[in-house]
Order: sequence, then C-alpha cells, then structure tokens
Amino acid sequence: MSRLRLGRWLVAIPMSLLALATIYPLLFTANVAMKTRRDYILDRFGLTDALRFENISTAWNSVGMGRYFVNSLFVVTVSVLLLLLFGSMAGFALSQLRFRGSSALFLGCLAGLFIPFQVIMVPLARIMADTALIDTYPGLILVYVAQFLPFTVFLMTSYYKGIPPEIVDAARIDGSTVYGVYRRIMLPLGTPALLSVGILNALFCWNDVLMALVMMPSADHRTLMIGVTSLRGQYSDNIPTFASGVLIAAIPVLLVYLFLQRQIADGVAAGSTKG
Amino acid sequence: MPMGNTQPSVRPASAGRAGGAAVTSAAHRSGARPRRTRGGLRAERYAPYILVLPAVLIIVLLRLYPLLLGVNFSFTGDGEQNGTAVGFGNYRELFADPLFQTALKNVGLLVLLLPVAVAIPGLLATFIYLRVPGHRFYRSVYFFPAVLSPVIVGAIFNLLLAFDGPLNAVLGSFGIGPVDWLGDPDIAMFMVVGVHIWATFGMALVVFLAGFATLDAALLDAARVDGATLRQVVWHVIIPALSRTIQFVFVTTMIGMLTSMFGLLYIMTSGGPEGSTYLPEFYIWKQQGQMNRPALASAASTILFMIMLVVGLLQIKLLERSGKED
Repeated sequence: MSRLRLGRWLVAIPMSLLALATIYPLLFTANVAMKTRRDYILDRFGLTDALRFENISTAWNSVGMGRYFVNSLFVVTVSVLLLLLFGSMAGFALSQLRFRGSSALFLGCLAGLFIPFQVIMVPLARIMADTALIDTYPGLILVYVAQFLPFTVFLMTSYYKGIPPEIVDAARIDGSTVYGVYRRIMLPLGTPALLSVGILNALFCWNDVLMALVMMPSADHRTLMIGVTSLRGQYSDNIPTFASGVLIAAIPVLLVYLFLQRQIADGVAAGSTKG
Repeated sequence: MPMGNTQPSVRPASAGRAGGAAVTSAAHRSGARPRRTRGGLRAERYAPYILVLPAVLIIVLLRLYPLLLGVNFSFTGDGEQNGTAVGFGNYRELFADPLFQTALKNVGLLVLLLPVAVAIPGLLATFIYLRVPGHRFYRSVYFFPAVLSPVIVGAIFNLLLAFDGPLNAVLGSFGIGPVDWLGDPDIAMFMVVGVHIWATFGMALVVFLAGFATLDAALLDAARVDGATLRQVVWHVIIPALSRTIQFVFVTTMIGMLTSMFGLLYIMTSGGPEGSTYLPEFYIWKQQGQMNRPALASAASTILFMIMLVVGLLQIKLLERSGKED
C-alpha cells in the first residue's frame, strides 16, 4: 500500500509540470501584455513592474479589436439562439412524436455530422455569393447554424429521449397543443441540455477562423479571431500590443471556462457517450 | 445534471422532480380551454413536420446539397473552362501537385502520431481516475487549452517559438544554438502537430474520464486485491473495459487533426516553410481563396471527404466487432 502511495506522488510530479506547461503560455502572454515594448526586449520573462493597460487599450481602440469583439459577440449570440431554437424543436419532434419519416429525417440530420466545412467550402461559398449572403452577418450566422446544427439536433434528440412519453401524453389529453407541449414542457425540461449545448456552440462559433475567413472578406466585418490573425502581420515587431490583442480574444473564453467548466465537460462527455 | 446517463427506465422520478411543476401548471391552464376544432387537429397532424422543418431545411440545403454540388464541381474546369466537363483532369493535376503530395504525406504523419495523441490523454485520465494527489486540479487545467481557439493558441506559440523569442533565449543560455522552430522545413510540421496535441489533449481526456465513469470499480478493486501492478491493471482491466471509448477517441482525434488544424497552420506557418506544413484543408482554402481555382479545390475536398469516410467506416467496423465480442 505504501509503495502505491509513493508511486502516486511520483506520478504527481510530471503531472504538475505538465499542468504548468499547460497554463504557462497564457500567463506569459498576459505578462507580456502588461510590459512596455522596451521592457520586453530587455527582459522577456521577468514579471512586469506594473499593471499597465495601455497596450490593451491600444489594441482595443486603434487596432480595432473592440469593433471585432462586438462583431463576434453579435454573430455568436444570434447563431447560438437559432441553434438552440431549431435544435430543440427538431429534437423534441424526433424523440417524442411519432410521425411518418421521422427516422429518415433523423438520419438525414445525422449525415450532416460527417460533412466537415472544409469539404463543402467551395460550393457553400458559391451558394452564399449567388444569394448575396457572402460578406453579410446573416450569411455567416447561417453558415454557423448549418455547421453546428447536426450536433445540436443529435444531442437534443438523445436528451429528450430520456423524458418519459407519459408526460407528453398527459398534457395532450388535457388539451395542450404540440406547440404548447414544446413551449411549456420541453423547453423548461431541456434547460440543462440547452445550457451545455449552448455553451459548446458559443465556444465553437467564437473560436472559428476558417468559416469567418471564407465568408467575411471585408475588413470591417471581421470577427475577433480574424482580427487576431491580422495582428501577426501588423504588430509582429510590437510584441506587447500583439499579446494584448491575443489576450482580449482569450479573456471571454477564460471567464466562460472558469464559471461553466462543468457544463462544457458535460457537453463533451454527452457527445461521446451517445456516440 | 449530467447529460450522459439519462436512461428512460430510471427517468420518471427525476424528470418529475425537475418538470413536475411545469407539467401540472400546463395541464391546469389548458384544461380550461375549449376542445380542439377540426382545423386545429389538422394543424396538429403537421406539427411534427413544422418542428423539424427549419433544421432539416438548413441541413439539406447547406450541408448535403453542397456536398453533391462540390463533387459535381470537381469534374468541371477552372477559369476559361469554367463549367465545362473535364473528367478526371482536376484529380490528375491534384496528384501531380507537389504541394498536395506534401499535404497527403503530412496526413500520413498524423496517422503515425495518432497513437501518441491518444495515449497521452488516456494515461493522464487513468492517473486522474486513480486519484493522484491533486486530480481535480489537473482535470481543470488540462482541459483549458481545448476551449481556446486554434488562432489564439497559434498566436501564443508564434510568440514563444519565434527565432528571437523566449524559447530560443532559454536554450541559448544553456548553449544550445537558436533553432528556427517554424522556419525549418524539417521541424515546422512537428511543431505545429505538437502544438495541436498540446491544445487538444484535454478534450480527449474528458472523453476518457466519461468512459471511466462507466467503469465498474469492483473490477479494479478485485485486481488490486489480487496484487496486480498498475501496468497489469491498465493492460488487463482498463483497456478491455474502455475499448469503445478508446476507439471513439481514436476516430475523433483523427478527424480533429484533419479538420481543425487550419487555424494553427494559418497563423503559425501559412503552409510554409517551402510548403512543408500543408494539410488538405489548407490546400483547399489556398486554391479556393488565393489561387482562384475552385474546381481544383473541390477535387481536393472530395479526396478529403474520402479520407474521412475511410476513418468513419473503420470506426463502424470496429464498433461492429466489439459488439460481437460483448
């Protein structure tokens, strides 16, 4: 037993080092963002001598990260709300209602899971250009919704399958319409799943680069992640400003992670155990 | 409430607790309403279709239809030949293109590195499951990079791996000469894959831990009582019991490597140096967006889809086999 205990402590050492390697890059970036350019060149690793926010405000204002931040926030919010609405509607119907063709429709939605954006990028860009949706917010939102809807429908369907059909039957006998059942029973009962799926979708949309890059060519429509990529060319010689831009993009995710870590992990776990 | 274990047979009690109030209030309210009319009944019959309509419409129009369109597109020409059929011309050009050859070679490298990318989170999850001191802390910390955008991760590592950057400064103080981490064609791809594994092993870790949650603890106790060493426990108890989870992680890690490294490639190397860090997804984007060769890009998309299809079918095969063993 004591041998095992010692072994556990021995394992804990490399695991702690790995934990350090996992968070250090972000801490380093945060530290650099507080330094002046001169400080950074003289000493890369030393702790900053003061909490300076000039770099952050430069990045936010003159680099335009503030504007991109608002763009991202808007696109992500609308996309996630639509995903949750369409996903829960379809999930409810596919799990609780019996109707002709329901299993074929479910399989159709599922098939979407196996088509990554890279594979349909060219035709999708063409469709968006033909419908004048390219370089518009509705266009990007539509692309995000289409990208993450199969996953959302899949998770909501398997979640709602766990709700006993007697609940729906009872409400129906009492004269509630299908829509009434959806609004007054399924939405409230689905809250835990909607929260998990919503946070995951928000992270996916917030973190996306490729779709935003293909669908939003103009500079003032950039999302925050595209803003980060543009920092590389413009501020490669001004590392503290570069680090500040990265930090602005990372902080919302860090906050979401600190407060909602459980829901994120639950969502990932649910996706794996259902598969 | 965890979403992973909602079995219908055990649900009524817990569902009643969560939704009882909603159900009774809904029943009360609608009980006072007059009975449904004939028109209402017909509307009710179509209700399921109306509920699935938005999702189905979006998925069919913006996922399934573009797939067919893209395959069709890959057999037509670019530029002056736009719209005319060229047979397998694009595919011939594709396989003759050294950049696409590099992209495929790099896919081969990813396949070779796949066991490493699965074993690391698997081993760490085992230790966390066995309650190494501080296991809760490790779990939170390891998972964190997985929620960061590849662009943020890539930007941070751009900073750390720059030729005049911090890593070389540290190595330099030990007398190890500066290494051009992202500028040397022999090293750059390994760095990008390494950063990808660093950024995503937490995702696989969480999946493994979800698998461990279904593991029968009595099995482990029995092995422990019989005096099994950690290695024996891993080989003879944990791996057989988690075979489905392990297969799932293999497939999702492979798909992740094939479809979510664009952000890293874009910001860290842009496919360079000397085209050594191309992957199919980067090639597709480059041909479509920069080179104005959409039909050639479509051909590359079709090849990428075939690769993913093979990965997916392999998973189904494996699942069938493990189903027979059960």
